[in-house]
Amino acid sequence: MAITEASGGIISSLKLSRRNTLIKWAPLLVLVVLIAFFSLIEPRFFSVRNFARIFTAASPSLMVAVGVTFIIIMGSIDLSMEGTISVCAVSFAFCFMALGGTLASWAWLSLPFALVIGAIMGALNGLIHVKLKIPSFMASLAMGFVGTGLAMVMTGGDRIRIEDEFFRGLLTERILNFPLMVYVAVLFLLVAWVIQSYTILGRNFYAVGGGEELAIASGVDVDRVRIMGFMLAGIFFSVGALLAVGRIGIAETATGNNFMFLSITAVVVGGTALWGGIGGVWNTLVGVLVVFVIGNGMVVIGLPGYTQDGVLGLLVIIAVILSTDRKSISFVK
Amino acid sequence: MSFIKKFIESETVSRRNFLMASAYGISGATALQMFGPSPSMAATYSDPTIAWSYRNRTNPYWNEIVSGGEAFVESLGKSKDFLTHLINEGSSEKSLADVKALLAKTNGELALAIDTNDAPNARPVVEACVDANAYVSTLWNKTDDLHPWDFGDNYVSHMSWSDEGPAERTARILLEAIGGKGGVVHLGGIASNNPAIERLNGLKNALKDYPDVELLDAEPADWDTQKANQVMSAFITRYGDEISGVHCANDTIAYGVLEALRAEGIEDMPVTAYDGNPQAVQLVADRKLLATVFTNPHWGGGITAALAYYAATGYFKPSDEPKEHREFNGPTIFVTPEDALEFKANYLDSVPKYDWTDFWGPSSGPIVYK
Repeated sequence: MAITEASGGIISSLKLSRRNTLIKWAPLLVLVVLIAFFSLIEPRFFSVRNFARIFTAASPSLMVAVGVTFIIIMGSIDLSMEGTISVCAVSFAFCFMALGGTLASWAWLSLPFALVIGAIMGALNGLIHVKLKIPSFMASLAMGFVGTGLAMVMTGGDRIRIEDEFFRGLLTERILNFPLMVYVAVLFLLVAWVIQSYTILGRNFYAVGGGEELAIASGVDVDRVRIMGFMLAGIFFSVGALLAVGRIGIAETATGNNFMFLSITAVVVGGTALWGGIGGVWNTLVGVLVVFVIGNGMVVIGLPGYTQDGVLGLLVIIAVILSTDRKSISFVK
Repeated sequence: MSFIKKFIESETVSRRNFLMASAYGISGATALQMFGPSPSMAATYSDPTIAWSYRNRTNPYWNEIVSGGEAFVESLGKSKDFLTHLINEGSSEKSLADVKALLAKTNGELALAIDTNDAPNARPVVEACVDANAYVSTLWNKTDDLHPWDFGDNYVSHMSWSDEGPAERTARILLEAIGGKGGVVHLGGIASNNPAIERLNGLKNALKDYPDVELLDAEPADWDTQKANQVMSAFITRYGDEISGVHCANDTIAYGVLEALRAEGIEDMPVTAYDGNPQAVQLVADRKLLATVFTNPHWGGGITAALAYYAATGYFKPSDEPKEHREFNGPTIFVTPEDALEFKANYLDSVPKYDWTDFWGPSSGPIVYK
């Protein structure tokens, strides 16, 4: 693990230099600059309707990115999101259709059912990582493939359409111009913030990420924290899956596609450091918005789509440069 | 002494014959490979292994292709597990390595249907099969200079689809529906994919006859529903009411577009799609989509395996067939609101039982190179 001056939330408050202030606010600054840039070129970008579109598109990814934020704070990584999302989406759809196909029946049970599936997938992930002592990167990547395969076997390659008006109300019903799913995402974001800031588990994530030996010495059951972390991430992936299905009305193996790149990019761009201990869910919110403002803004100002990935890639590098004090890192691996 | 003379003479002749024969054995065989093996050389097999080599089944389109292959195998009275699946996961190297391994295992007694993942990979795959005296039929990918008739019987056939014409027809349906004036947007596939290029060209061709329609924008949506959803939302921000119709490169893109429109409360925007997936056909029947094009991947997957198999068993002899039976375009069927339900009943609700020896019936003409 790389050694940094600001290694961990516990001691970071001891030394708040100007640089740290910059690091803390840089992602938000990037977001503001991007919004200003796109608005200047195309005034239609800066409208409530367009922000509603950006938030709607971003909601599923926000949930996934929040889930993986906990893992990254611990200094691990979870790459299982695509498989977990597919399995949750498809399980939800099967359960939903089997129980009546409308939220106005017992089919509402499929919502908690999907969350339980996500939790099980996440817990398995954590158990494999901790008990078999496989690096989280490898364990979760493999579990992701297992998930995609499982979803494939379940659907046989077919799509399941969810046409229920009540469930699709997530997209079609609006309060103050924003669809319901945006409010659901905000609600779960607040839940994540409470977990991060006001629970022992949340603080333990920072403890493990900031310095594992120190955490063990302080009596933290690190294995348990890790497994709980992966389980929590699984639940948030599942919320993301439900919102993704709500947004396009289709559950399929491909529901999970692209979420890995989007969420990891968003977390890093938001300023959560990959070696753990720094960052949090608000950083992730900013990161997700940066990614989706770019996606929307590029099309709105008429830039070709394939430049988007290039710009995002550059942003990741810039974000890592900004959030790293390279003088204090002795080696990079 | 004359018998000695005779003996020497006859020896010389037979030695010359022998030398000629062995020279022929080396060069003649290669010459034959150049001009196609003689009938006696292309051995046929009573029960060849049947294999399909493709990317993976996650994509519904490829799932349909492979299910066609399985239906064909079942038509032979075998279980569908008899079909060997070679899954390349998008790697040409794996595709070629898997084929070579299977050729070694089956000793060339193989009927192979394959999409070689990219065009340049078709030649090494075909050459490996020809060298092993196996039979191969290709789908979609091959370079323009590679032709089945240059390899005798072993390279049985190549099938592809030309999308420009059908995409132009869906575009005309769209442009008529918006009354021949206004603005349209196009959401395309992965920018470098050939079908994506052809489908956009189809739209551009149709637009030449409609001077009052403006192509506002064309963006790649990577064949992806969620990406299409985002791109369409951004289009709505940029162009708003200027958009009077949407031309989508395939059905999965159209699903994302329809949901982006639904989120804005727009219900009656004319949208065309492509591929004829079951849900898209239902949407056409419900008049949410204007048209889609069915390319019958089930038949395509089955017939590609059937051609390789029946050539391998000697049921027909590829080199006796005309060129348009060796390289041909797959079927295209238009689905519009008027005939969507009938089409759905005939093709999708119950998969038709195809005669897998009617190799060219449903196809739509030879492949034309530009």
